[in-house]
Amino acid sequence: MGRYWRIFKEFFRTCLVEELEYRSEFIGNLLSSLFGIIVSILMVQIFFYQTDQLGGWAYADVLILLGIYNTLQGLIDFALRPNMPRLLLHIRMGTLDYVLTKPVDSMFFVSLRHLNFWRLIDVLLGMGLTVYGLVEKQWVPTFLDVVFFCVTILSALLIIYSLWMLLMTTAFWVIRMDDLSFLFTSFFETTRFPITMYKGWMRIALTYLLPAAFLTFTPASALLGMWDVQTTIMSGFVAIIFFWLARRFWKFALANYTSASS
Amino acid sequence: MLVKYRAILRMKYVEMFSYQLSTMVWMFGTMVQPLITMMVWMNIYPDQGDAFILYFISLIMVERLTSAWDVWEMDRQIREGTFSYQIVRPFHPVHWAIAENIVYKGLFLVVLVPCWIVLSIFLPSLKLQLSAGQWGLFLAALLLGAIIRFSVSFLFGILGFWMTKVTALYAMFETVSLFISGRIAPFSLLPPVVKQISIFLPYRYMIGFPLEILTGAYDTHTLLVGFTGAMIWSVLLIGAICWLWKAGLKKNQAVGG
Repeated sequence: MGRYWRIFKEFFRTCLVEELEYRSEFIGNLLSSLFGIIVSILMVQIFFYQTDQLGGWAYADVLILLGIYNTLQGLIDFALRPNMPRLLLHIRMGTLDYVLTKPVDSMFFVSLRHLNFWRLIDVLLGMGLTVYGLVEKQWVPTFLDVVFFCVTILSALLIIYSLWMLLMTTAFWVIRMDDLSFLFTSFFETTRFPITMYKGWMRIALTYLLPAAFLTFTPASALLGMWDVQTTIMSGFVAIIFFWLARRFWKFALANYTSASS
Repeated sequence: MLVKYRAILRMKYVEMFSYQLSTMVWMFGTMVQPLITMMVWMNIYPDQGDAFILYFISLIMVERLTSAWDVWEMDRQIREGTFSYQIVRPFHPVHWAIAENIVYKGLFLVVLVPCWIVLSIFLPSLKLQLSAGQWGLFLAALLLGAIIRFSVSFLFGILGFWMTKVTALYAMFETVSLFISGRIAPFSLLPPVVKQISIFLPYRYMIGFPLEILTGAYDTHTLLVGFTGAMIWSVLLIGAICWLWKAGLKKNQAVGG
């Protein structure tokens, strides 16, 4: 574990050095991130122009959820998204062989090697929005709330990573990757609002089939003191299952992989 | 002219089938956002569910049939230098783009209309009772909407001769349209000031106006304002394309190739 942490820090450092060559991009990226979060908040305000609750959640609560959504979105764009086209290139050019012969886990290397630092702005803005929501609500989470929040958010991160890996691994058979990441973005969009908003089979599907409920809803609930032990255990359980699936699928794909190089 | 069009239409038709999977992914992926918005509204006004279903399913249709993607293609081609091939062809590149639009939107129709018919068996609110005249008005508004959206996209594409980040700029333009084109909500639910602004901007005529006709939320005054606005914007945008295209060609330095 410690070794992988050191390797990740090294990825981080090399990507940062690379990115600092393009410092002038900062303003543009900052503006687009700000624009994005303002649009999300405006959207919520349009809904709250007509109502005072959404799926039982008040304005400030929805802002807290939106902050978590933005943070997770930022993390995906920071660490996962930049790697997807590269895996495709590796497979097509046959350079995946070099990755496989490296003395690190190939799934780890392939998914986290390239980082896009500018998207960390989204992460910061998201955290800021969550804090703002808490201030607006005048709510101070207790120590236990924070503990439950940490557990559920870790599960959420693991679920996101696993789902993304499941999708990314299909690169061995599918050719156009931007379509797949678009598919993920569309799915992730469902977590922008409280899951209690969805009715009937939609809600069941988004909880158990595609674990959208565990991505933003359970962490936000935990932070608001609405946690319960059962859901928290459930989220950890779902995370482990999906991670196991992703792992198995990656191994399966590698077993069927016949290199493209000579 | 017609013969040439027939030829490029056939080319684009064949081309389309090589990207079947991704066309489907994009077609169904773009439905997610309107569907979520629909859920939100049905949650806020549970007793008006049927009206929202009609509005947002129509929105998906109209959005698909007026969608424009040329700016992404042009940005890539100008950056990679392959756009030069298009310029030297004897037929103006805009015709290739138009032909592509016709073919893809034909496909959307072929897929979406049967979906609509099947859905309307289960959801009675989707059964449309429009007279022939209303259909005519709707189709005219839809065509104008498609023209405006295509022109805007093509215009941004031409800007690619001068700038490198046009897609980011266009994405911003599209995001603003979320609020003013009637995508996030029917105009009646938006603050009145939004409706007033929307009369002067092109957004409303791209999506919101055809939708108002289809869902029957209009009167003579809306029609008059709508068609006048849509016409003015179409003419303005087409004029801008002609003018900017000439200026752009002078500026173009054909990278790579």
